[in-house]
Amino acid sequence: MLLDFALPEHERKLIPDGRVSGSMPWVIAIMTFLTLLAAAAGLIMANAAMQGGADLARQVTVQIIEPDPTARKVQSDGAARILRSAPGVTDVEIVPDAQIREMLSPWLGEDVIDADIPVPSLIDIRLDSPANEEKLTELRNALSPIAPSAKLDSQADWMAPFFSLMNSLLLLAVGILLLLLIATSATVMLAVRSALNNHRETIEIMHMMGGTDVQAARLFQRRMALDALFGAVIGFILAVIVVLLLSFQFSAANSSLLSGAAMPWYGWIALAIIPLAITGLAMLIARRTVLSALKKML
Amino acid sequence: MQSVVEFDNVGLRYGTGTEALTDISFTLYPGSFYFLTGASGAGKTSLLKLLYLAHRPSRGSIRMFDQDAVTLPRERMPGFRRRIGVVFQDFRLVPHLSTFDNIALPLRIAGIQEKDLQNPVSEMLNWIGLTDREHARPATLSGGEQQRVAIARAVIGRPEILVADEPTGNVDPDMARRLLQLFAALNKLGTTIVVATHDIHLLQEIENAQMMRLDAGRLADPTGSLRHPPKPLVLKS
Ligand SMILES: Nc1ncnc2c1ncn2[C@@H]1O[C@H](COP(=O)(O)OP(=O)(O)OP(=O)(O)O)[C@@H](O)[C@H]1O
Ligand SMILES: [Mg+2]
Repeated sequence: MLLDFALPEHERKLIPDGRVSGSMPWVIAIMTFLTLLAAAAGLIMANAAMQGGADLARQVTVQIIEPDPTARKVQSDGAARILRSAPGVTDVEIVPDAQIREMLSPWLGEDVIDADIPVPSLIDIRLDSPANEEKLTELRNALSPIAPSAKLDSQADWMAPFFSLMNSLLLLAVGILLLLLIATSATVMLAVRSALNNHRETIEIMHMMGGTDVQAARLFQRRMALDALFGAVIGFILAVIVVLLLSFQFSAANSSLLSGAAMPWYGWIALAIIPLAITGLAMLIARRTVLSALKKML
Repeated sequence: MQSVVEFDNVGLRYGTGTEALTDISFTLYPGSFYFLTGASGAGKTSLLKLLYLAHRPSRGSIRMFDQDAVTLPRERMPGFRRRIGVVFQDFRLVPHLSTFDNIALPLRIAGIQEKDLQNPVSEMLNWIGLTDREHARPATLSGGEQQRVAIARAVIGRPEILVADEPTGNVDPDMARRLLQLFAALNKLGTTIVVATHDIHLLQEIENAQMMRLDAGRLADPTGSLRHPPKPLVLKS
């Protein structure tokens, strides 16, 4: 079917160039632009959810809640030692007291913190695989003789609502993508029908001279594909500009929640395929619309 | 002799109206020349439409090129149509194509190479006297010129059957004679020709031409056998 682009000059003359599909290229440009934005948002969210999720799922925080500072120190050092040699633990880091106080100050106020209020000590550990209940229990048991007041929390737990939001947004993006593709198809179909009407006379004459349906369809599918390609490329360029600008702003914002929010390399490939897919879709729809309209002629 | 076309008790009805054609039976032989006459509204164009496969009959049987044309599957129609040349009563030239491209259309549809169609099209342009208008669009041609283009387009592919609906209605008698000679030349090459016309002058131009007359949708000769044209009643102008 791609070879049909190499239509001989005289076949191109049969359906004169220009204005064949009216405003269709511009509608396609808008559709492509929106489709790409939805796809980009989906890709970025999927990437963030996957990266952040995989990362966070392996992080576990150990809290040691012990009012006596000395006992607390002994327990946390002991816990850290055990954790370092525990199987499956790749990284152990005692969060310095100063950092904990700094983290808490927005809630408790500077003055309170400066006073000798006891704060729990924290140990961040990282596992070689996502944390599950079994693993947490195993670690808890290993810690209980030395640090009875140790409490283990998987990071994934408190991030769960965030990830379910990400998932919903992802589904939404996919839904929007499908709706846009349907609208694009409908646009092409309408454009082909009106082009077909404008050139009914020519098509009928060809038909009466023994022109085949495929010959007639070829005239339209080529025009429609070229018009769609034109619109799709414009939509693509605009979408790329917008996505690039937004990703600069994302990285400038430097928020930890959004740290995973970047376009993965394969995302650009996916984005580049979309305008080509829309062009192919337009060509196919044009072909099918013409063929089914011609079926009604004897 | 083997027939090219056989109509047997054919009827044609448009929609739910009365029959435009009733009980039409005749046989056309290869290399013969037929005139179809009849008053306006008698059904000449309707009969020709059945011949060039623009309509299926409402009843009766039609055989063409030794096959049943009534039940011919749709996908085999193009092959049949390429063997039939048509001059439409309203010409039906493609408005945005030049004279040259309009005449070349059947050859191009049949997939003839560009280099092989330059000569025949130029010859044809020369024959109809429109060489200097080869780039003109139909809208800029006179009625008679458009008619000549329509005829050139119908004969260029050397069809086995040529169907012409009032092909000389818009041209002067000299040009009409010239165009008929074109048909006669094609006829000599073996094409079966059917010309619908009101113009009784034409009938005497072709030797051995046979005549069919339609009267209100029926062939005037109820036996269905065709006869040679009567001696002309009107003197040559
Ligand atoms: N598409 C159509 N729908 C309904 N009726 C039609 C149609 N075409 C023709 N008719 C009717 O069929 C009858 C025969 O028409 P036809 O065009 O075959 O006549 P004709 O002999 O070619 O006339 P003319 O010499 O004026 O061209 C007429 O009564 C006409 O009104
Ligand atoms: Mg008529």
